[in-house]
Amino acid sequence: MTALALNKVTVPGRLRDVSVKLGPGRRIGLLGPNGSGKSTLLQVAAGLLPSGGEVRWSGRRVQEIAIPERARQVAWVPQEARFEFGFPVRGVVQQGRYAHGDDETGVDAALARFDLTTLAQRPVNALSGGERQRVLLARALVTAAPVQLWDEPLASLDPRHGLEVLMLAKELARAGGTVVMSLHDLRVAHCLDEVLVLAGGELRAAGNPGTVLNAALLQEVFGVRARTGETLILELP
Amino acid sequence: MTTGVHVKRDAWTGSLLPGLIILLAILALVSLGLGEITMGPARLWAGVTGADREASLVIWQIRLPRVLTAVLTGAALSTGGLVMQAYFRNSLASPDLLGVSSGAAAGAVLTISLGWAALSLWVLPVAAVAGAALATFAVLALARRGASSERLLLAGVALNALLGAVTSYVISTGELFARSTQLLFWLFGGLEDRTWLHVWAALPIVVALALVWPLGRPMDLLSLGEREAQSLGVGVRGLRRRMLVLATVLAATATAVAGVVGFVGLVVPHALRLTAGPEHRRLVPLCVVGGAAFVLACDLAGRLAGGLRLGVVTALVGGPFFLWLLRKRA
Repeated sequence: MTALALNKVTVPGRLRDVSVKLGPGRRIGLLGPNGSGKSTLLQVAAGLLPSGGEVRWSGRRVQEIAIPERARQVAWVPQEARFEFGFPVRGVVQQGRYAHGDDETGVDAALARFDLTTLAQRPVNALSGGERQRVLLARALVTAAPVQLWDEPLASLDPRHGLEVLMLAKELARAGGTVVMSLHDLRVAHCLDEVLVLAGGELRAAGNPGTVLNAALLQEVFGVRARTGETLILELP
Repeated sequence: MTTGVHVKRDAWTGSLLPGLIILLAILALVSLGLGEITMGPARLWAGVTGADREASLVIWQIRLPRVLTAVLTGAALSTGGLVMQAYFRNSLASPDLLGVSSGAAAGAVLTISLGWAALSLWVLPVAAVAGAALATFAVLALARRGASSERLLLAGVALNALLGAVTSYVISTGELFARSTQLLFWLFGGLEDRTWLHVWAALPIVVALALVWPLGRPMDLLSLGEREAQSLGVGVRGLRRRMLVLATVLAATATAVAGVVGFVGLVVPHALRLTAGPEHRRLVPLCVVGGAAFVLACDLAGRLAGGLRLGVVTALVGGPFFLWLLRKRA
C-alpha cells in the first residue's frame, strides 16, 4: 500500500514529471540544490499547490478528499513562518487540532517533546527562528497525521534539537507513519530509509541512500567531491 | 528559563467585555442627555416614556437615531478593520487606510450627483458597497495578501488620493450652496442630522456582524498563513471570500450613513489586541462593543468641543496612534 503517490507531477517552471511512490513506515529525505523544487514538491504532495499530474493519498486523489479530512491525513511544516500576530505558543500548537474539533489531545505532550513548555504562553512572534521551527513541528505532531511532510525541519535547530527531531521521525515511522523531510545535510540523509534527489525540477534519483548518494551523483547534482573519512558523530545521550 | 513578554492572560481581560458594555451604556445615556437641551436622568426618563413631549421629541427623533448610527458605524468600522487585518495578515490594514471607505464615498457621491440617489433609499448604500468593492479589488490587485506593510499602505495612499479626487471633483461641479457641507460629510464623516432612515440603512451592518461572529476561530489560523491554515483543515478559499465580502459590506455601509470616518478600523482592533491578545473569537465581540463605544465617545467629544466633525475627532485620536504604531514597527 502506498501512503503517498505522485504521478507525473508538473508545476510550470518548478517541477517536471515527478513520479514517486512512498510507503508507510519510512523516513524519506528530499535532497537537491537550492531552487531544485523541494519545497514545491512538498506543497504539491500536501495538496496545497495545484499541479499537473496526479497526487494520491492511500490511493485516493487528493482533490476528492475534503479539506478537514486532508488535515487529519497529512501534516505539512513550512520552511519558515512569519507570524504577524502574537498568538501564544500553546495556542499555535493547539491549532493542529482544528480538524479534530479543536480539542487539546496531545498538545501538552508535544510542547514538552519540543522543549516548549516554559515558552507556552509566550507570543509566537517574539521567538527565535529555531524556537518557531519547533512550534511548527509540534503543531504538525498534534495533528496525529500518519503522513508528515517537513520542509527543512533541521535548518535552524541546534544539534540537540535536531537529533530529537530525527528521533521523532524514527518513532513515527516505526508506528507506521511516513515522514518526508527536505534537508541539506547529506550525512543525515545517510541515516534515513530512502532518499529522493531533485535537480532542476526533475527527480534525478531515488532509493536507498547508500546506493543513491554515490560520489558520481554528488559531483553531478551538487558539484561537490565526496570522500569517506573520519567524522564527528553526534548522538543523544 | 527566559523571562520576557507573555501573552496577556484571562485574569482581567475576561472583565473587559462587560466593562466595555457598561461604558457603552453610559456613553449612550450621556449622549442622549447632553445637547442644546440638557436633560437630567429624570427628564431623560420622562422623555423616553413620552411623559415629557418636548424631551420625547428630542430623544426619539434627534438623539436616538444619532446614537444608534454612531453605535452601528463604530461596530462596523472596527470589526471591518479586524477582518481586513486577518485577511491581509497585516495589523496596519483597515478600510480607510486601504481606500475602501473612500471607494464607498466616491460611489455614494456619484449616485447623488447623477440624481439616482433620489430614486430609492437603497440606491446610495448599494452604490457605496459597489464603490467599496471596486476599491477592494484594486487593493487586491496592487498588494497581494501577506504583502509587506509598505506595499499595502502605498496602495492605500494611491487609492485614497484617486478616490478622494473623484469625490472632490463630483462635489465641486455640483451646486455651490450644497458643496461645502457635502464635501465635509463625504471626506470627514459626521453624524449630524441622522434620522431613522439612516439607522434602517445601517441594518446590513447587524447582519454582517452576525456572520463575522462564527469566523473567529478559522480567522485565527488564516492570520498566521494561508497554506498553513489550509493544511490544518480550514477551507481557505471560501473563508477568504466571505471575509472580503463582509469587510466590504461593513465598511461601505458605515460610510454610506456616516461618511468617511478614519482610523476606527485601525485603532480599536489594535488597542484591543494589545489588551486581550490576538484570538479572534474574543476580539470580534470586543471590537463590536469597543468600536461602538469609541465612535460614540468621539462624537460626544466633538459635540462638547463645539461641533467638531466625527471624522476630525477620530483622526485627532487615531493619527498619533498610527504614527506611534509605525514607529514601533520600524
